[in-house]
Amino acid sequence: MRPLLLAALLLLSLPALAAPPQPLDQPGWAALRSAHAGQPTIVHFWGLSCGPCLVELPEWGALLRQRPGLDLIVVEADQVEARPDRIAAVLDKAGLGQAKSRTLADPFDDRLRYRIDAGWAGELPLTLLIGRDGTVTRVLGGADFAAVRRWLNQQTEQHR
Amino acid sequence: MRRFLCLALALLIPPGAVAAEHHPDRPRASCAGPTLECATAATPVFAPDGGLWLAWVAGGMVSVARSGDLGRTFAPAVAVSPVIERIDAGPDARPQIVIDGSGRIVVAFAYFKDDNWNAQVLVATSVDGGATFAPPHPITDDPASQRFPTLVAGRAGDIFAAWTDKRTVAAARAQGLSPAGAALAFAWSKDGGASFTAARIARDSTCECCRLGVGFDSGDRPVILFRALFEGGVRDHGVVTFSDSANPGPVRRVSDDDWATNACPHQGPSLSIAASGTYHTAWFTQGRIRQGLFYARSTHGGERFSTPMALGTAARHPSRPAVLAVPGALWLAWKETDGQDTTIELMVSRDDGQTWSAPRAIARTAGASDHPLLVGDGHRAFLSWLTRADGYRLIPLEAAP
Repeated sequence: MRPLLLAALLLLSLPALAAPPQPLDQPGWAALRSAHAGQPTIVHFWGLSCGPCLVELPEWGALLRQRPGLDLIVVEADQVEARPDRIAAVLDKAGLGQAKSRTLADPFDDRLRYRIDAGWAGELPLTLLIGRDGTVTRVLGGADFAAVRRWLNQQTEQHR
Repeated sequence: MRRFLCLALALLIPPGAVAAEHHPDRPRASCAGPTLECATAATPVFAPDGGLWLAWVAGGMVSVARSGDLGRTFAPAVAVSPVIERIDAGPDARPQIVIDGSGRIVVAFAYFKDDNWNAQVLVATSVDGGATFAPPHPITDDPASQRFPTLVAGRAGDIFAAWTDKRTVAAARAQGLSPAGAALAFAWSKDGGASFTAARIARDSTCECCRLGVGFDSGDRPVILFRALFEGGVRDHGVVTFSDSANPGPVRRVSDDDWATNACPHQGPSLSIAASGTYHTAWFTQGRIRQGLFYARSTHGGERFSTPMALGTAARHPSRPAVLAVPGALWLAWKETDGQDTTIELMVSRDDGQTWSAPRAIARTAGASDHPLLVGDGHRAFLSWLTRADGYRLIPLEAAP
């Protein structure tokens, strides 16, 4: 029994690995919006084969480290076949191992993108800042993190 | 022609009635085979005998099939590649297929060769009319990443290939720099893709995630339309006309949209050069100066372009433009969606792009779909469109309602 016990202990001592990201479809997007209604929420769309995305990802990790209560959802939205283990590894490395992680269920589907943001043609990265009142601010391309922090502070102040 | 009309009319039947049976939202994971139904992009080309060839990626491999009845039925598919993990099927990527002057069928595609998304372009040729393909081989032996190959067959039968290439980026990185984008590379094949000339760089700074538009001018010189990377990270369009087969001329700007972004737009342009020599271009931008889909023409060999003309209904998010000149007509098609239905909108010009008909929807689907492509058989133009719910469609444009 002892080797088994050892193995079990070893497994327990490993850091919790991020669960494989769940696919996000149209009903899933509606559910996500309603689950986060009234909460300032950041949804960040990125892609494994998107160079600018990979450069920026650690900055989102840094933001999450600074603000552990941040409602941040990262969505891998590349049409290129993405292995869940690869997504988890890249997020881990960027400090986003504990972030809520999803994949776009069907990047082939323009309609899904349209439902998420009617002005989104599939460019990556894309960040949606969703305010307490449901107002969505679209950030296309790399984010200005000073502006993101200002937005988060405003959201907190409004709540007081 | 009546049969075509019937087909086109049938395709216009509101899809609501059949959508429920077709499960347009079915996850892709349930479709893992190498068949056309499982593909997200299909590329057409007409052979000199009038046969339509399609190339697609599905089930981890590239396949082609021939249709002798304008896309209604296809002969059994032929494998072009073995199963290769991670063939590039990104948002603007698709396998390329051309038929050269000797009837050789040449297919090109990219695959990701490592976990850092470095890709390599492979080429495979059939010399027996598409019955079999030789094993795919690299288009260049350079180790840097290559994506978005585009093949065109010149009038002399030679094949011109252009692609995005990271070799200059890799060289700059080796010197401690961190340049964005990729370079625009090109090569020629005189033997139906069996070998290519050494790759050369036509331009150093291009967008690394957008398809290219390639054609030949009236002197049979290559012309490449591409999303360039201008000063300040501006991803606007440029065009380069070769002065001869080996030497690219200067890059001319098609339009000053001022789209400064460090995003991957995943949406490249479309180019068609008419027999008149006029360049016809269409593209997507989210620039500071204009946003949406646009068309412009150049009657000066790409040296200057007309004022961009906006396409489509902004609220329906027009995207994925295609332009094609055939004798007597110039066609423009693009995709629009309202979040439920997706339509392909079509316009025609009878005066080389000076004036245009009003746009009309010629096809629709309730599910996911490929970009609309326009393909000619030398005389007529067709819309080629792969949809998940309604299958593959080839619609003759002159007969479309």
